[in-house]
Amino acid sequence: MEARHCCRAFLTCDSSCMTTSTETVTGADRKGSAIRGANGHPMHEVAAFRNVSKHFGAVKAVSGSSFTLHPGETVAFLGPNGAGKSTSIDMLLGLKDPSEGQVTLFGGTPRQAIMDGRVGVMLQSGGLLPEVTVRELVGFSCKVHPRGYAVDDVLKTAQIQDLADRRVDRLSGGQEQRVRFALATSGDSDLIVLDEPTTGMDVNARQAFWSVMKAQADAGRTILFATHYLEEADAIADRVLVMHKGRLIADGTAAEIKARAGQRRISFDLHPQDGGDASLLNALPAITALDVSGSTVRISTSDADATMAAVYRAGLYPRGLEVTGVGLEQAFITITAEATAAEGN
Amino acid sequence: MSSLIRLEVLRVLRNRRYLFFTVIFPVMMFFFYASTNFGTTTFNGVTPKTYYMVSMATFGTVGAALNTAMRIALERKSGWTRQLRLTALPGWAYVLSKVAAAGAVTLPAVLAVFAAGMAEGVHFPVTTWLGMGLAVWAGGFVFSAAGVALGYAAAPDTVQPITMVSYMGLAFLGGSWFPLSGGLKSVGQYTPVYLYNELAKYPVNGVSVGASQVIGLAAYLAAFAALAAWLYQRDRKAV
Repeated sequence: MEARHCCRAFLTCDSSCMTTSTETVTGADRKGSAIRGANGHPMHEVAAFRNVSKHFGAVKAVSGSSFTLHPGETVAFLGPNGAGKSTSIDMLLGLKDPSEGQVTLFGGTPRQAIMDGRVGVMLQSGGLLPEVTVRELVGFSCKVHPRGYAVDDVLKTAQIQDLADRRVDRLSGGQEQRVRFALATSGDSDLIVLDEPTTGMDVNARQAFWSVMKAQADAGRTILFATHYLEEADAIADRVLVMHKGRLIADGTAAEIKARAGQRRISFDLHPQDGGDASLLNALPAITALDVSGSTVRISTSDADATMAAVYRAGLYPRGLEVTGVGLEQAFITITAEATAAEGN
Repeated sequence: MSSLIRLEVLRVLRNRRYLFFTVIFPVMMFFFYASTNFGTTTFNGVTPKTYYMVSMATFGTVGAALNTAMRIALERKSGWTRQLRLTALPGWAYVLSKVAAAGAVTLPAVLAVFAAGMAEGVHFPVTTWLGMGLAVWAGGFVFSAAGVALGYAAAPDTVQPITMVSYMGLAFLGGSWFPLSGGLKSVGQYTPVYLYNELAKYPVNGVSVGASQVIGLAAYLAAFAALAAWLYQRDRKAV
């Protein structure tokens, strides 16, 4: 993204100036601190929440939330209904103002980012205009986007060429979602925000949707999507933000979040002819649960590497070893339960 | 901006309800009145045919303008207004496009009723036709403003009855169905459709319009526009 802006500026330079500035900018960019927006926020952040809260009367929808999105990330916004995801997205897009704290997009206000055509948005439901054809609606969206694409290209990317002449009010739920997706990708946006994009899609449609979405991520765009399908966050996102009761309770890769919630399962068999003292299992590090039935050993551990190293050091010979991660779903339940418990204390 | 107006005009013209209430119904009503024998009476100095031609043209125009209310209320509910706020279009572009589209789609209604009038033997110099057309068209913006205000004031499930009742009530008090007299006139003459009908007949010879009527209509425009602006701001904060 920076590179593109730089190139624009260089078009007016002569060759010597070009060489020098390229070096300067690239160097600064690597350090990631020298380039700053008009209000002093680093330009390499796509979006930032700084201690953001939003309350409606006595209800705190979001409290003290802080995070930064970086260019090229695909980020899942995960949480049950009522966790504050939608309110956070509304604030991110400037549809709602935070009660406290600060929200910036590309170092400026959300509105400015939208005016500059840097943000494409796919709303969860509605947002479509009846009495027009798909081509007319998408064409309109392309036209008002400051960096809009040709309508045919957008229809093709969203794989809805066959719907182009259909009336928007006569589409099925899944087809509507694809039109919404087309609206979100009607221009050269740097950030694409999707609010529960696959709601109402069947499994095939969801897979098709995410493969199209992946192409957007591969093109270098930053993607933020809200979802309550954990497997989607697990499969697609390289970073997961977990919201629960208005608080951001976890922020990391899906693997980190699973690790934080505990975990991995190890299972293996111990055969008597291999020797070794099975009672040593009780002394293994990092284990959270141990189950020995017959020759089969099942262990839950917060550090599979340390546990397994200790198994070998103890002179045991595990056969049929399997180490599996727990699903994000289990991790999610663990983390939200922890958060609820912490709140109770 | 212009693409949004174009989209709006397309949508309204495709809407059968629009076609019926603003074009077909007024034309039908005009033919109905035109076939009635009023003898040699004149209504406020114009022939009955002229009277009804003008009042049916304004009736269609008010219908088109108030129809805006239903569209805005529905589009607020459906999230279209939200989607628009996520485009680079300025916020007021939506309201402006509604008013502009209402102004554009009013023309077929006016032309249809005037054509019906000509077919029924109403004839005027070209300048009078143009003057009347212009007055009907320009006056329609008063009701576009009212439509915008109503669209932001009412919920989607109540906007339709409210709009229809206001529409019919204003047309009745405005003398669109028959010339007002007596007590009805003492009330009706201050209502916006009445002033609008008077203004629209101004270009006809022998009809006089006082400055007070023009000022009255302008005051309605200012009031509706201010109300619309306030309700629009309130809506943006609430979303």
